[in-house]
Amino acid sequence: MSQTDTAETTANRTDGQGASTTAGETVETTRPEWTNYETGGETKLAVEDLDVHYGDDHALKGVSMDIPERSVTALIGPSGCGKSTFLRCLNRMNDRIRAATVDGTVDLDGEDIYQDGVDLVELRKRVGMVFQSPNPFPKSIRENVSYGPRKHGDIETGLLARLTGRAEPDREETLVERSLERAALWDEVDDRLDDNALGLSGGQQQRLCIARCLAVDPEVILMDEPASALDPIATSKIEDLIEDLAQDYTVVVVTHSMQQAARVSDQTAVFLTGGELVEYDDTEKIFESPESQRVEDYISGKFG
Amino acid sequence: MSRATQTALVRDDRTVYEAVAGSAVGVSGVAFALGLAALLDVVAIDESVAGIELSVAFGVLLLALGTAVVGFGVTSRLAYVDTNPQPSAGIVAAVAFTAVWFAAGAVAAGAWGLGTVGRLGAGAVLGGIGFATTAFPREDIGSTAPAGAIAGLFGLLLGGGVVGPGWEQVLTGYNATLFGDTVVPVVVLFASLVTGWSAAKAYGGFGARGRNVGAYVLIYLVVGSILTVLVGLVAFVTVKGLPGLFNGFDVGGAGLVRWPFLTNGAGLLADIAGVFPALMGTIWLVVGAVLFAVPTGVGAAVFLSEYAEQGRFTGAVEVATNGLWSTPSIVFGLFGAAFLIPRFGNQKSLIAGMLTLGFMLLPLVLITSREAILAVPDDYRDASAALGVSKWQTIRSVVLPAAIPGVTTGVILGVGRIAGETAPILLTMGGGVLPARSAAPDVLGGFRLSASPPFVSNPALLEATSALPYQLYALITAGLSGNIRNPQEYAWGLALTLLLVVLVFYAIGIATRYYFRRKLHQ
Repeated sequence: MSQTDTAETTANRTDGQGASTTAGETVETTRPEWTNYETGGETKLAVEDLDVHYGDDHALKGVSMDIPERSVTALIGPSGCGKSTFLRCLNRMNDRIRAATVDGTVDLDGEDIYQDGVDLVELRKRVGMVFQSPNPFPKSIRENVSYGPRKHGDIETGLLARLTGRAEPDREETLVERSLERAALWDEVDDRLDDNALGLSGGQQQRLCIARCLAVDPEVILMDEPASALDPIATSKIEDLIEDLAQDYTVVVVTHSMQQAARVSDQTAVFLTGGELVEYDDTEKIFESPESQRVEDYISGKFG
Repeated sequence: MSRATQTALVRDDRTVYEAVAGSAVGVSGVAFALGLAALLDVVAIDESVAGIELSVAFGVLLLALGTAVVGFGVTSRLAYVDTNPQPSAGIVAAVAFTAVWFAAGAVAAGAWGLGTVGRLGAGAVLGGIGFATTAFPREDIGSTAPAGAIAGLFGLLLGGGVVGPGWEQVLTGYNATLFGDTVVPVVVLFASLVTGWSAAKAYGGFGARGRNVGAYVLIYLVVGSILTVLVGLVAFVTVKGLPGLFNGFDVGGAGLVRWPFLTNGAGLLADIAGVFPALMGTIWLVVGAVLFAVPTGVGAAVFLSEYAEQGRFTGAVEVATNGLWSTPSIVFGLFGAAFLIPRFGNQKSLIAGMLTLGFMLLPLVLITSREAILAVPDDYRDASAALGVSKWQTIRSVVLPAAIPGVTTGVILGVGRIAGETAPILLTMGGGVLPARSAAPDVLGGFRLSASPPFVSNPALLEATSALPYQLYALITAGLSGNIRNPQEYAWGLALTLLLVVLVFYAIGIATRYYFRRKLHQ
């Protein structure tokens, strides 16, 4: 559905309900105070006036929001609203799309990650990411988990390391075990670490991807609809895990499911069509008494 | 009937009609197999089967099949059996039978001595009848009557002895003669294919299901014949080559194997002439070409698919590589002779041959590696990038391992081609026609250190060397026999050895691919 279609639909529905829009006016205007949410904790990521263009397509319009440390921030909104784009800006994965241009600043602990000379390797070690569909490498479970630390040279394995006495099999074991335990997968796979990861079920694969991300010891974990490809039981495991992870990590999760956002998140940002952040507040506030009529419509299922 | 009610959805009883049609399909299959055997000279058409000549028996069989097929159509048309024919047999069948009957008419008129006009006229009349009987009646008549009639006609010709073992026809204008022992099997193959298809349609009750069964039978018969030709070819070379290959072979006490054909040269002092120098030449040639082409080709593929911006440049490279892969090998040979030979001691040498074949192999390795790399899901690249792993490390530890099976496939195909190449070797590598054992290249032992640049030399690489296909070609064209007692046997043994070498390289490649596939997916 194109953006104009959605905008018209919105207008019709709003009119139909007799909302406070006059004839000719299409949608309500977003008020700055709706997104001006004072976060409780220390700010981990501060986003300021973020604009993203894919060629001529204006995907994200002047988004500003502060993401607090050690909490779960949910990003919700209909398809094509720019929530995934926003997420991918936080670890500069959008750099991998040639046509994408990003303006504005994203501060990680007060440092702009879009300034010149930012080390992407270091940034992505600190800001990890879990994708929508589970994407483990076609390698063993153990190799999947230790992949990041190995490539960063934090753990030395392989023939040369063994020959020169620098191999640290114990450290690798500990790291693999700790990461898998943290991702609530250890008990299911501890007897088959050398099996190919593609033999795991979808839910296990996704938890393996989380373990793989945890192994590089990030500070922020970005999750792009991590449970949308999973069955209800696997989904609830992932949700429990997200809540649990928030004790140590800053988690930002994009989701389609409002129940999921309501269940796991501390604060929720609602993006609506057109790449606009409409409202950002405590999750409870968003789901019980949102300021914006459009957000209320969206949450009550009248739109999107 | 096993059930009280027979529904349109469930058919569980086999009618007599189906049984007869099914056995007609089977008989057609047998006739087809026999025709194939006769074509490959496994059976002779003048052999006697149960007292009658095979070609006459073929005729009787075809006549019976033709009659049966027409019978299926008529039975169905007169509604004695329950079938679902469509209104017409379709345009493809109509065109095919028009062509068949046109040809039959033209040939028959020619046999009666009519001129061009007469032949065309007869062809047009019979072609028209063929078209009319296929296109106008309902499918059950349209796809059986013309088919049965052509099989019946062929049956009459063979059964009546008009065309038989002694038959021959001089083709005026072609400087060639058709003999009965080729024509009879071809006629049988064609007619049994047609009756098999037609009977299969009847078995399926015509309509969609009948067409399905008909296509199935056609495809199986054609695939079967391709496989037969393949197996026949390999079996032919094997049977002819085994005596030469195992000439003087014996396993002595203590497991000592003596295999002179593979370990001897063809020099005057050898008791049994062997192919050792050429065998080693071919092995080193392939190894050298692979060592040159695989790193270069895979490297270029990585650049083109991971680093280069997709656009005009990569498009041009793609066109150029495809062009190179289809360049005739003699052109590569000429390039090697004119460009490489002056740079490697001005004489034909092993290394010139290796590089020439390497150049030939390069485009295929590049094309297949590129496809294999592009087929690696972007998910892996994203996942790796999100872990902060650099692009090159991602390529090395995720993309390339996932692409190895595809790359191996390319190398297997390429090795099959270059191992048998003769023209480039003729121009760049030369070597004796009947090399003595001492002429075998000793690449590993040939390295010499020296005090002056280039500090390392290897005379074995710079010497003219023989290779299996080249030696075979030279033996056939020059007709040299030298020390060889039985040149025919020697040449066939040589051919079998070449076949085996290629198969061994294939086996290595397939094992590699299997190993990496297992590693990736288990």
